[in-house]
Amino acid sequence: MPVLQHLCQLLYDSQIGTAIRESNVTFPVIESAHVLSITLVFGTIAVLDLRLLGLVLRAIPVNKVARSVLPLTWTGFAVSLVTGFLLFWAEAAKVYWNPAFRAKLVLLALVGLNPLIFHTTIYRRVEEWGHLRVLPWRARAAAVASLMLWSGVIIAGRAIAYFT
Amino acid sequence: MSLHGWFMALAHSPLGHAMQTSKWDFAVVEMVHLLALALLGGSVLVIDLRLLGVILKGELAWEIGRDLGRVVTGSLVVMVLSGIALLSEEAGKCYYSPAFRWKMALLAGAVLFYFTLHRSALQQTGRGRPTTWAKMAAIISLALWLGVGIAGRAIGLL
Amino acid sequence: MKTTLAVLLALGISMTAVPAYAHHSFAAEFDATKPVKLVGKITRVEWSNPHTYFYVDVADAKGKVTNWSIEGPSPGALSRRGWKKDDLKVGDHVTVVGYRAKDGSNLADGRLVTLADGRTLYGGSPGDGGPGDNGTDQGDLSGINPGK
Repeated sequence: MPVLQHLCQLLYDSQIGTAIRESNVTFPVIESAHVLSITLVFGTIAVLDLRLLGLVLRAIPVNKVARSVLPLTWTGFAVSLVTGFLLFWAEAAKVYWNPAFRAKLVLLALVGLNPLIFHTTIYRRVEEWGHLRVLPWRARAAAVASLMLWSGVIIAGRAIAYFT
Repeated sequence: MSLHGWFMALAHSPLGHAMQTSKWDFAVVEMVHLLALALLGGSVLVIDLRLLGVILKGELAWEIGRDLGRVVTGSLVVMVLSGIALLSEEAGKCYYSPAFRWKMALLAGAVLFYFTLHRSALQQTGRGRPTTWAKMAAIISLALWLGVGIAGRAIGLL
Repeated sequence: MKTTLAVLLALGISMTAVPAYAHHSFAAEFDATKPVKLVGKITRVEWSNPHTYFYVDVADAKGKVTNWSIEGPSPGALSRRGWKKDDLKVGDHVTVVGYRAKDGSNLADGRLVTLADGRTLYGGSPGDGGPGDNGTDQGDLSGINPGK
């Protein structure tokens, strides 16, 4: 058995994993927090992305919008990550085979790469363009990529249920 | 027709039949419902945090409300339409579901509040710090919308 | 609007990921015209979220044994209907009255399960539209036609 699959089986068989999986209330609560956290993650980053596309809050400089929104996004991401890991712990052996879950992980990696590139390149000079009416194409491209990738993560996440 | 009658009529409608028999429709509609939920929630959060004076300080509250309000209303329309389609797939279950009834009540409250008192609170706030009433309006708004989300989750869990 | 296009594109790409099997209400997954009555021994129990399953070895008239999977709601939902995890144990003799999956596989929903100790439990949800549904979570067991 591949190492990864073996690890998943260990998590699945563990006391904590089993307890969450067989619970009456715990699993539903964790899952609900995970689902609702998409408002904190995707919903708030979408506001920044829409600002980068020049569709909302044009009177407010980009870096001010970013400063306001990003803490919310990060908080939401922390909630998604913790709840997501707990859900994974409970279902690890089963979800290992799930193509939707694998797709979700790939998309998550890409969605992390996008802001990394954005912040280390074009965003460095945000003072120059943050107040312009039409923003640089790199900023707009990052916004579109962000919206698409996050949508993909959410869609892949929902699709997990259809592959069990 | 009774309320139950309306629910059954929806279930037996062409939309209902399509949703019940198609392998793909429910999944796709549910995903659309979910994406719209995220956009609606995120924009409501940003608007209400401005109303609470926590973020975007010094910026025009009603302008933020107007701009992001377009996302809120757009998402709301998508959620109602997709919601009706989802309902047509399991109308009977929703009719009897206390979670569904709570969700509808909270949704009505949230929407009503949003277009009336919440709107005036945004207009009164301007660029300044919010009044106590404005902060209360933000908290009521957040609580109502969160309630809608939680009730929605409960439909599938109970 | 660019955002709408972006979202629709993402949706379109991921639509290809959704497989043939999709589940939710009774009507979408199970066939009310295919009632089944399964009598046999439990071989496996999965008391898990988001759906519970138990597996039964059913022998037909000629003695050929097939393994059926019986799907149920979450542990929480079953607990609220009076089920407990220990009610289903490997080796128990049970009778399951339910309806077969639309795709014809050996999958059924457990609308009425008679346990080894003689108790009968209802596995449907209020308003799910399946046989026995009377809008409550105790079901109207008299109406269920066991079939073959």
